[in-house]
Amino acid sequence: MIRQAIIILILSAVLGLCVNAILPNKIPYIGKYRSISSGNEPIIPPNADENDPPFIALDLAELEFNQGDAIFVDARDPAEFECGTIPGAINVPLDYLPEGDLAVYFDSVFAGVPKDTKIITFCSGDECDLSLHLARNLQAFGYTNISIFFGGYREWEKFGLQVERRKQCGG
Amino acid sequence: MRRIIDNDYLIAVLRLVVGIVFIYASVYKIADPGAFAKSIWYYHMIPGSLINLIAIILPWVELICGICLILGVWYDGSVILINLMTFVFIIALASAYYRGLDIDCGCFKASSGGGSSVLKSLLFDIVLLAFTIALLFSRSRKWRLEGK
Repeated sequence: MIRQAIIILILSAVLGLCVNAILPNKIPYIGKYRSISSGNEPIIPPNADENDPPFIALDLAELEFNQGDAIFVDARDPAEFECGTIPGAINVPLDYLPEGDLAVYFDSVFAGVPKDTKIITFCSGDECDLSLHLARNLQAFGYTNISIFFGGYREWEKFGLQVERRKQCGG
Repeated sequence: MRRIIDNDYLIAVLRLVVGIVFIYASVYKIADPGAFAKSIWYYHMIPGSLINLIAIILPWVELICGICLILGVWYDGSVILINLMTFVFIIALASAYYRGLDIDCGCFKASSGGGSSVLKSLLFDIVLLAFTIALLFSRSRKWRLEGK
């Protein structure tokens, strides 16, 4: 039984390593992921690519928040946004955007905001991709100074920073 | 209980069901190791340097075990591995559920990083574990290519 299991494992390893080598979307054998946030290193998801806007750590997000010249954009659902967000953040719920031309929508949300304004996107935390997708969208529509705070609201709250709650929620 | 899990027909059906589940689950992961690596990463349970190796090798273990289970080749080895994998998946999902992670389980499709499928997947895997445990303890030896 154990011998058969070992044979299956070895066969799987050989097949996996060989097939990955010839796959067009192969991945490196040793990944470089950061798993746990320490607050001073940005969390970068494995699906980020080199054309994406920069990822910033919590300490930099906090610095920008204190300086007050960046717009924080919360990409989560309106319900989550209302339960708690970074103070002053605006909500662009990527999963609930109105039908139609996204450019028109962004222009209405960011009316009067110059395209080179510092915009920081975030969502719930590092298991959520919305901040990345929103940043890519904004980049595509010509916004040039975007950063992604991938630690998101969960990291912000975890480190005891100031939050804004529009309504009281359970939990 | 013993009579039920020794029933040749029941075991044949369970082998087919569990085998197909494992084969089906392995296909997308083999085709898109990057997406599967991301699914693993979301659990925050595995050291970063090991994630890709697991994403590359584990789907093949699932595929080969699924095939072996259905055909009845290297049967005992594949049954023990399938039990082990299902058990580990349950631990991972339970831990994700306990920590309130809002993730796709990464079981059958590429992760989108959203959706709360954790509890559903956990229940599915618990049922699957019941099936695999039945296979582990069954004395049915019918319809195996290796013949015993």
